[in-house]
Amino acid sequence: MREVVEKVDLAFEVNGDSVRLAVSPDATLAEALRDDLELNGTKTGCEEGECGACSVLLDGKVVNSCLVLALECGGKSVVTIEGLAREGRLHPMQEAFVNHGAIQCGYCSPGMIMTAYALRLENASPTEAEVRRALEGNLCRCTGYRKIIDAVLSLNNGESRHD
Amino acid sequence: MSAMKMYQAPRTLEEVMRAAGETGATIFAGGTDLMPRWSKEIVPRPAAVVDIKAIEGLSGIEVTDGEICIGACTLMSGLDESAALRRAAPILAEAASRIACPQIRNRATLGGNLCNASPAADTAVPLIALDAVVDVAAPGRAGATSREVSITDFFQGPGKTALEPGEVLTRVRFKRPAAVATWAWEKFGTRPAMEIAVASVGVIVEASDGVIERARVAYGSVAPTPLRGHGAEAALVGRRLTDETIGGCVAAARGEISPISDVRASAGYRREMVGVMLRRMLEDARGG
Repeated sequence: MREVVEKVDLAFEVNGDSVRLAVSPDATLAEALRDDLELNGTKTGCEEGECGACSVLLDGKVVNSCLVLALECGGKSVVTIEGLAREGRLHPMQEAFVNHGAIQCGYCSPGMIMTAYALRLENASPTEAEVRRALEGNLCRCTGYRKIIDAVLSLNNGESRHD
Repeated sequence: MSAMKMYQAPRTLEEVMRAAGETGATIFAGGTDLMPRWSKEIVPRPAAVVDIKAIEGLSGIEVTDGEICIGACTLMSGLDESAALRRAAPILAEAASRIACPQIRNRATLGGNLCNASPAADTAVPLIALDAVVDVAAPGRAGATSREVSITDFFQGPGKTALEPGEVLTRVRFKRPAAVATWAWEKFGTRPAMEIAVASVGVIVEASDGVIERARVAYGSVAPTPLRGHGAEAALVGRRLTDETIGGCVAAARGEISPISDVRASAGYRREMVGVMLRRMLEDARGG
């Protein structure tokens, strides 16, 4: 059991909203998102930075939220899977995953989608090799990676970019 | 289970050293090595951590004609994406680009990779080949003082460095390699991503009219620390890259490493792979 420790104020931005929380100094960003903000789209898998299920964007860069202390995020901006849809419409990356059947159990999907989303912020038309390299830290244990890679690549010639 | 009661992110080195000295706070940068150990309870959570990422001047890459200077908090992705570093010291940019995955490279710092002092630290091998030094800030009565430590002296054993309590690695510096230098770095593992090296080798050679004038060889994951290959270097300097020279260099390399058998590979396999990688690098350097 964890010892109860005094919580500390944290102010940051999550999916465009200003958020204030009181968190334990040892809380991870993943815990703050899931337990305090009830943004349970971000999954926790290995909790040691191997699986990528907890991937979110921190100031525009993809990170494992299990390896970030919540208190490191003061004044920073976080985007989670819940932040991608606009006005009730899925983000094109989410739609691409659906259309390509790039989901089986779904546990890895939020992390995969956030990592693929981060890739396309920096590289609008990635090659297959670039997609594979970008997803090297995201594990899927159900199926293969083929459909996931096809989903990401499908945006190169398809839909206009969301934002 | 222990609890972490305090997180600080001061703006000055003095405050970091005070926190590390007075409260015994653990110095924290990218957290990619520390946090898994805490969550898996391999080591207890420290009562206090002091984050050094907000300190000015600890991030960034300065490339001049003579020297390259890299702040301790520079990210692996920053090394990978720096066009200036790719031109000036591609051996280091390449090694950084092959660490773990994008999520880790966006958090892991150069200083952290060194201070973690893993025998497999991917950036250590190129930095040994580059003859790097690290700047260490030490608390002093009249404010912080700085001392310089060579990269080979910095590593003292698995997880052990030359840092004294309260000291902070602030910068990594090395002379810009000669434009004519050829380099190679390779890590061997069973998969291309998220892999801790089974063995790694780095080489920088400068030749004039086919005769090697200067050579640096370094190895990872085959000794208690990342290791400089003095024997392999001596087998190259003053010689042409003939089959005989390459054979002599490989034999010297196999003799001067001291690999262990563990979950990733046997000692014999590591020794064999170091020889294979080094031979290929030298054959590539001479053009076949």
